Amino acid sequence: MAETAVLTKESYVPTDADFKLKNNVSDNFVDSNFASQSFFKEVVARFKKKKSAVLGLVFVLIITFFAFVGPIMNEYTYSGQDLSKKNLAPRIPVIEYTGLFDGHENISTTSGVKTVNLYFDNKLTDTFFWFGSDNFGRDIWTRTWSGAQVSLIIAVAAAIIDMIIGMSYGLISGYFGGKVDMVMQRILEIANGIPRLVIVTLLLLVFKPGMITIIVALMLTEWVGMSRIARAEMLKLKEQEFVLASRTLGAGSMHIIFSEVLPNIIGPIITQIMFSIPTAIFTEAFLSFVGLGIPVPRCSLGSLISEGFNSFTTHPYQIIPPIVVMALLMLSFNLVADGLREALDPKLKEM
Amino acid sequence: MDSATLFVPAFLSFIGAAMKKYVIKRVVTAAFTLLAITLILFILMQLMPGSPFNDEKLNDAQRASLYAKYGLDQPIIVQFFRYVFNMFRGDLGVSYKISKNTPITQLIASRLPISVGVGFAAVLIGAVAGLLLGLLAAFKRDTVWDTLATIISVIGVSVPSYVFALALSYQFGFKLKWFPMLFSAKDVIGSSVLPSISLSMFTMASIARFTRAEMIEVLGSDYMLLAEAKGLSGKKLIFSHALRNALIPIITVLAPLVVDLMTGSLVVEKIFSIPGVGSLLVNAIQSNDYNVVIALSFIYSAMYIGIMLVVDILYGVIDPRIRVAKKED
Repeated sequence: MAETAVLTKESYVPTDADFKLKNNVSDNFVDSNFASQSFFKEVVARFKKKKSAVLGLVFVLIITFFAFVGPIMNEYTYSGQDLSKKNLAPRIPVIEYTGLFDGHENISTTSGVKTVNLYFDNKLTDTFFWFGSDNFGRDIWTRTWSGAQVSLIIAVAAAIIDMIIGMSYGLISGYFGGKVDMVMQRILEIANGIPRLVIVTLLLLVFKPGMITIIVALMLTEWVGMSRIARAEMLKLKEQEFVLASRTLGAGSMHIIFSEVLPNIIGPIITQIMFSIPTAIFTEAFLSFVGLGIPVPRCSLGSLISEGFNSFTTHPYQIIPPIVVMALLMLSFNLVADGLREALDPKLKEM
Repeated sequence: MDSATLFVPAFLSFIGAAMKKYVIKRVVTAAFTLLAITLILFILMQLMPGSPFNDEKLNDAQRASLYAKYGLDQPIIVQFFRYVFNMFRGDLGVSYKISKNTPITQLIASRLPISVGVGFAAVLIGAVAGLLLGLLAAFKRDTVWDTLATIISVIGVSVPSYVFALALSYQFGFKLKWFPMLFSAKDVIGSSVLPSISLSMFTMASIARFTRAEMIEVLGSDYMLLAEAKGLSGKKLIFSHALRNALIPIITVLAPLVVDLMTGSLVVEKIFSIPGVGSLLVNAIQSNDYNVVIALSFIYSAMYIGIMLVVDILYGVIDPRIRVAKKED
């Protein structure tokens, strides 16, 4: 009996059906050994590894560059009207010889589609509108970039101000705890229950829209998320030894909050800012679309889209530049924010 | 055996008590939020520039009688309580501009079903497409499919819904003429297709992202390995072990979706001329019909608060960790 058992054991040959490899080589990640580096350098290295984030950053930089340089690259201004040159299709010097951007436009009439070139029909051979001109003869190139400039300024300003408010609120609430925290958190819960868009819309109906009022309205709506993050981080950090040490040495609460804890939570805060910028751009565009945006003659991406929408079946080229810039801008900010979140907090689970 | 029979009911009653407390707390917060909203709306209404009756042709006596008729001559505190009372009774006042002297409830009643219908279709399309996309990405992890799904979901999350609405309306409405560009009452289904798809992009993208992340976590867990080792395979493995556990947390993405649907519907309804609540609000804003704006803001807020309440309570029911954490708070 014993002999047969041994024999069967020896003669046993594993087959494919017995087990299969889990193919989880990619999970068995071995940390490559590198010398200790500064936190900032590590973040940059991790950020660079993420291609989409780098791409996003490149687009953000390009759009920002054109937003400030674009409007002064040709002779037109964002508000200069010339009704003799209205609704002209895009035309760019040199490139026009390739047949693209030569100012031709397809117009659908009752008798079918016909191609016209208003530049030659109206004897405007020396006129070039790179992105075309709108219904009032304004240059869409200039208006797109100056609109992007306005949108960016509003979004960044709103994001920074709401960071300051939300961060202070969250840090103070988390640091003091107890009754202070209880009261502050109940207020926060109520504020969070209020739909933001409704409040922004109503605020702008009461206080007439302008750059400042839009920034204030946007700021009032975005601080809740920021303060949540700041509070959570504070709760994590306030029990740590360096805070205790600082307190033992006689530091005041405000010093501990803003000089000891704040520098340690800068990562999540920056990530949150990057996420709130596209939200602010979107909200601003929405407001412009319903007619509560930047007042004329200034324009923002939202107001350009809203204007282009009125004629987007007849002159689609008028809506394409602002909509592409806005979509790219929001996409890139989201990509950068995603990359930053992973770079700043490598422990985070992969989303 | 004895300890188990004692322990189980005790545990259940503990859960019950904690749950009850949690629900009560959430309901009270929601009620306070609604009250805060009403107060804010009332204050904003007082701050609105101009009066509804600043018609040049009215003399002072006529104006006074109009004020008396609408109760605008009462002390502000009385006005506030009357306002709150009316709001909760379902009397939202009358429209001053869009359609004169029509009760706002009547304006909304005919429009709400259309908006809710389009929103519901959007959630449905988004959820199904997002789920499929997420599963595809998770099962074909680190392949071209995964990259493609990631790209689609990043675009869906970051590009606003009205960009999709404009693109779809141009391509499929104007150029190809597959669907009507503008909403028509005769062809409700056909003309809801494009708006629903454009609204569903965000839902689809966030559900796809979430499903992928959860699915990958579940697929790598020990109990999946065990189920696989037990000899389960194919459908059973995926449907009764992986999918069930991966889908539970999906409820956490519901709240942002609701918010996005609400804001998205405003513009999308305007683009497709859908006679819904969103386009009514946009029209009211553009024609300064403050009464309608305030009333709709109240409705939106009430809906938002209600949905948030349901979602929060559902979290508590599904994931015990949340109510325990809340209790410690």
